[in-house]
Amino acid sequence: MRQSISIRYAVRSLRRHTRRTILAVLGIGLGSAVCLFMIAFVRGEGRMMLKAAAESGTGHFRIVPAQWPEIRENDLRLPRWQRIRDIVRATEDGKLVAAHARKEGLLAFGTRVVGVEIVGVDATVEQRANRLVRRVTEGSYLTADVPGTTVVGRGVAERLDVGLDDPLMVTVANADGEMNSAMLRIVGIAETGSEELDATICHVNLEDVESLTGLAGAGDLTVLLDDPKRLEKAVEEIRGKLSDDYAVVTWEEIMPELASGVKVDETWTRLTVAIVMIVVFLGIMSAQLAAVLERRREFAVLSALGMKSGRLVGVMLMEGLMLGLAGSILGLAFGLPGAYYVATRGIDFSGIYGKEISMSNILFDPVFKGDFGWFLVPLAFELALSATILSSLYPAWFAIRTDPAAALRVEH
Amino acid sequence: MTDETLVAADEVTKVYDTGKLEVHALTGVTLEVRKGDFMAIVGPSGSGKTTFLNLVGALDVPTSGRLEILGDDLAALSKRRRADMRLHSLGFVFQAYNLVPVLTARENVEFVLELQGVGTERAARATEILEQLGLGELADRRPNELSGGQQQRVAVARAVASKPKVVLADEPTANLDGENAEMLLAMMGRLNAEHGITFVFSTHDPRVVAHARRVVTLVDGRVAKDEVKPNGPQKED
Repeated sequence: MRQSISIRYAVRSLRRHTRRTILAVLGIGLGSAVCLFMIAFVRGEGRMMLKAAAESGTGHFRIVPAQWPEIRENDLRLPRWQRIRDIVRATEDGKLVAAHARKEGLLAFGTRVVGVEIVGVDATVEQRANRLVRRVTEGSYLTADVPGTTVVGRGVAERLDVGLDDPLMVTVANADGEMNSAMLRIVGIAETGSEELDATICHVNLEDVESLTGLAGAGDLTVLLDDPKRLEKAVEEIRGKLSDDYAVVTWEEIMPELASGVKVDETWTRLTVAIVMIVVFLGIMSAQLAAVLERRREFAVLSALGMKSGRLVGVMLMEGLMLGLAGSILGLAFGLPGAYYVATRGIDFSGIYGKEISMSNILFDPVFKGDFGWFLVPLAFELALSATILSSLYPAWFAIRTDPAAALRVEH
Repeated sequence: MTDETLVAADEVTKVYDTGKLEVHALTGVTLEVRKGDFMAIVGPSGSGKTTFLNLVGALDVPTSGRLEILGDDLAALSKRRRADMRLHSLGFVFQAYNLVPVLTARENVEFVLELQGVGTERAARATEILEQLGLGELADRRPNELSGGQQQRVAVARAVASKPKVVLADEPTANLDGENAEMLLAMMGRLNAEHGITFVFSTHDPRVVAHARRVVTLVDGRVAKDEVKPNGPQKED
């Protein structure tokens, strides 16, 4: 099929001022590349934060007693928690369900005392669900069938001046408000690199928390998803299977400060992307407007020959479309290597934040990695094409306002 | 020439309001253009020649009076309908040729056909028109590779490609030397004689007047003289 003359006209009009066209494409390409890089980085950073939060014991969502969202009390326990765990495990997303029972208590060795949140865990599951397990640098993590043992953070150990196999006295207030004590043997010391986190870690077997508090069972079931994008669907499905005795809370509800941090990051990125694209948009509009002004007589002639406004707008938009396509390809050429580098190597913030970053008891890797994938390709086209097509609208409007008679009168 | 009236102007006026003053370009033109006319509109600068051509070309509308083009009252037509009229029934030849510089001669002709909605055969038709007008070997050249005379002949080819009823030519020979002007006028004369295309020229050029069969003189925005030469064109090639 022969190419339309209108398309040839649009293509050759762009080639009329090669340098201007190249500069415009460069501008679009660079702008798109910067935006691609930022979006990929922040997307990866958000995913890393969520992963870190989920694997630091928070999970992607939790099943908690119905009253928990209101009062957030650690003494609440899940009725029939093992049955609920089995129900969740039977769903598509419930492969990794970790039971926890939490209780504030005191650890003592000799005259030294430290206040911590004691976390009772199912040791077998926790080893797969919690990244703190991998930070046990001395000894080993808990074993399910060995009661009276604990893993503490390096900060806790230092403050109590204890080491592996040392006995610790743990004291908690039981369900009746009476103080209850027991001895725990240190089987592992975790060193996350975060002083804040290391000063709070105290994991014990679930049964030890049950006997210390006199409260049977787990306080929550923490669920980790293979695919965090399925969060909404998974939560919806689980909610549908539970009675009113239970509530399902997402990581955003459990850790609102982290969720708002991620949102702030995303908002800043959107704002920056918008600013970059507005600069690109204005640059393209200026170039396109100059091109229209130079061609006013040509448009007047085409209009005199019977070209309708719609077709003229079409030609202008086609020019914008071609600039956008070229800019998208250039944006991908510039942006993909950077995005790939950040996705594979990451940006190392350890020089600023130290070896580990912790926030709200979540351990983050200081090397932040971006996201990388096919989503960048349509994104590049979306960014560049929307900027160029939108920026062609005003020049196109200007072009169709050219009065053929007036433009021809200028000649005389 | 037949009695079929293509353009009928009745007391047509055109006033341009520049903000500070009003310019009365046409002050009451009454005139008919008939099928087959080969007509020159002459007159001193500012007499209203180009304004009249703009109106007959449906590029503008009169301030008052009635102007019928091909049976339609121009003032009653929308912009879109006027564009349709220009595309399907009128052809234009401009003083400065005004070919699209980035398109070849053939593509310039094809462009009009494409605007008319002609499909795959448009390239063949454009080639045929150029060959008929003796421009076949120039078909693939761009305007900057053509002389002024050649460009104007391509402009005529573009104007007649849409099979218009009337071709309006504004000072078509103003930028041409004697030989090229004669060649152009002879070509237009042939199109008029062989295809019955009506030509209306706005001109100062005595060479055009010499070829015209009807000469209308405008003075101060009015028809001062409408002269039909008794024995056809005074000058033949």
